[in-house]
Amino acid sequence: MSGPRETCDVAVIGGGPAGLAAALGARRAGAGKVLLLERDRTLGGILNQCVHDGFGLFLYKETISGPEYAERLTEDVLREPIRVATGTMVLDLSPDRVLRVNSREGYRLVEAGAVVLAMGCRERTREMIEIPGTRPAGIFTAGSAQNLVNLQNLRIGNEAVILGSGDIGLIMARRLVFEGVAVKGVFEILPWANGLERNIRQCLMDLRIPLELRSTVVEIRGRDRVESVVVAKVDESLAPVAGTESVIPCDTLLLSVGLIPENELAKKAGVVLSPLTGGAVVDETLMTSIPGIFSCGNVLHIHDVADWASFEGFAAGERAARFAAGERPAGPTIRVSAGPNVRYALPQLVTRGKPGVEWSFRVKRPVRDVAVEVKGLTSGKVYARRKFARLLPSELQKIKVRVAVEEDLEVGCP
Amino acid sequence: MSEHDAVDRLTCVLCPVGCELEVGTGPAGGVQVTGNQCDKGVPFAEEEVLRPKRNLATSVPIRGTASRMVSVRLSGPVPREMIFPILTEIAKLRPEAPVRRGQVLIADVLGTGVDVIATRTVLAKADS
Repeated sequence: MSGPRETCDVAVIGGGPAGLAAALGARRAGAGKVLLLERDRTLGGILNQCVHDGFGLFLYKETISGPEYAERLTEDVLREPIRVATGTMVLDLSPDRVLRVNSREGYRLVEAGAVVLAMGCRERTREMIEIPGTRPAGIFTAGSAQNLVNLQNLRIGNEAVILGSGDIGLIMARRLVFEGVAVKGVFEILPWANGLERNIRQCLMDLRIPLELRSTVVEIRGRDRVESVVVAKVDESLAPVAGTESVIPCDTLLLSVGLIPENELAKKAGVVLSPLTGGAVVDETLMTSIPGIFSCGNVLHIHDVADWASFEGFAAGERAARFAAGERPAGPTIRVSAGPNVRYALPQLVTRGKPGVEWSFRVKRPVRDVAVEVKGLTSGKVYARRKFARLLPSELQKIKVRVAVEEDLEVGCP
Repeated sequence: MSEHDAVDRLTCVLCPVGCELEVGTGPAGGVQVTGNQCDKGVPFAEEEVLRPKRNLATSVPIRGTASRMVSVRLSGPVPREMIFPILTEIAKLRPEAPVRRGQVLIADVLGTGVDVIATRTVLAKADS
C-alpha cells in the first residue's frame, strides 16, 4: 500500500461510549501513542442524540443524560495525550493491522500495534423485515427520527405508529408526544415487550400510549406520504392471522425492530463473526480471531446499557495496549457455547486454565425463578450457578466462574 | 397506569433483585403493597402509585453557534403532573451560545424547586 504513513501503538475505530473508554483504557495500560478515529465531526457517537436521562448509573454513580455522559468521557480523553481524529473515516483494515484512512487532510495509512473495533451498530430497516406496501415518505427508524428531532429540530409528522418495542422506540414515543405528535400505539410481534420495564412505564403507560403485543404492521399505505398502516395479530409462528387486520390512519411509521453490529471493517480484516451476536468471536481478552484486533461495545454485541459498553471498552483498550507492548496470549483452547434458553454467551473462547472469567449472556425467552449454570461439556460439572428472580431477553446479564477450567463449557438456563 | 385501577403491578428498581410488587387499595385510602422482599419496597411503591415523580429531557434551539440545538433536562425529578406545564416553559427558551453543561437555564421552574439545566456544552461560533 502506498501513501503517507503514520504509526501508533493502539488505534481505536469509533468514538462512542465504547471507543472513548477503549482509548482511555489503552492509555491507562501504558500505551504511548493512542489514535482515536471517529467519522462524525464530534465525539460521543449515538449518546449525543440520547437526551433522556438514565445513563451513567454504573460508571458515574448518578443518572445523567446521553450528552452529559459523552461530554464527561470526552473530557477524560482530551486530558490524555490521545490523538483524536474526528471527521475521519477508516476505509479498510488489513489483518496485519494497517488502516486505510480518509479525512479532510486526505488519504493516509496507519500502522497500528493493536486495533480496537468500536464502530457500534446500525438499526434494522423496513427492507430487512420486509413490510409489504407502497414506498412513501414518513417511514423512519427510531434512531434516525431521534436524530432529526433532538439534533436538527425537525418535526417528522403529526400522527405516528411505532413498530417494535425496543428502547429507542419507547423513548421516541414519549419524545414525539412531548413534541405534539399523536402516537397511536406501539406494536410488538413477540408476546413480550423488548424494552426496559422502566421505559414501558414512563414512556408508554404515563402517556396512555397503547402497547399491542403479538401484533405487527402487515402493510404500509400511501402514495407520496404514509396515509395509514394495516396492523394484524400474529400466531405462534409469528405469521399474521387473517381477519384480524385493522387500518390505522397515520402519516409516520417508526421502526424499532432491532440493532445489528456494524462489522464491515471487521469482515475486511477477516475477523470471524458469530451468527448469534452478529459481532466478532472473542476470547476473554476481547481479542478477535485476528491477533491484535480487539472488539468492544455494540459492534461486539448489542448492549442494553451504555455503561457496560464503556466497561468493555476499558478492558479492550487495556488488552490492546498490552498486545502492542509485546504481550501474547497463550491461545484460547476452550470453546463456550450457548445452552438451553440462552441466545448467546460471550466470550466464546477462553484460554485453558484461566480462572475468573466472566460471561455476558442473554436469554431467548422471559423466565422466572431460574438458575443459570456454566457447565463442563465433558464432565458435566457445574462451575458456576447464579439464581435470577427474572430474566428478560432485553437484559444483558453476567455470570462468573472463579476457578480455572480445562474443558469446553456451556452457559445454560436449564 | 390510572389511579383508579384496583391493582397496579410494578417492578421495584431500587436494587437488582427487582421484586414484582402488587399495589392494591389498603385501609383508610392508603395502599397495600405485596411482593416486596425488603422494607424499601413499600415507600417505593407508595410514591410510584400515589405521587409518581419523573425527570424530563428535551432539546431547544440555540442561537449564535453552528449547532442547532442544546439538550436540557431537570436537575431532579418533579411530580409527574408538572411535566407538561414545564415543557411549555422550556419551549419559550431561546438560549444564546456559549452554554456550559450544567448551566441553569430556568431556576426553580414553576416553583418546583428544580432547575432546567443544559446537558451539553455549546461554544459560541468564534470558539468552535
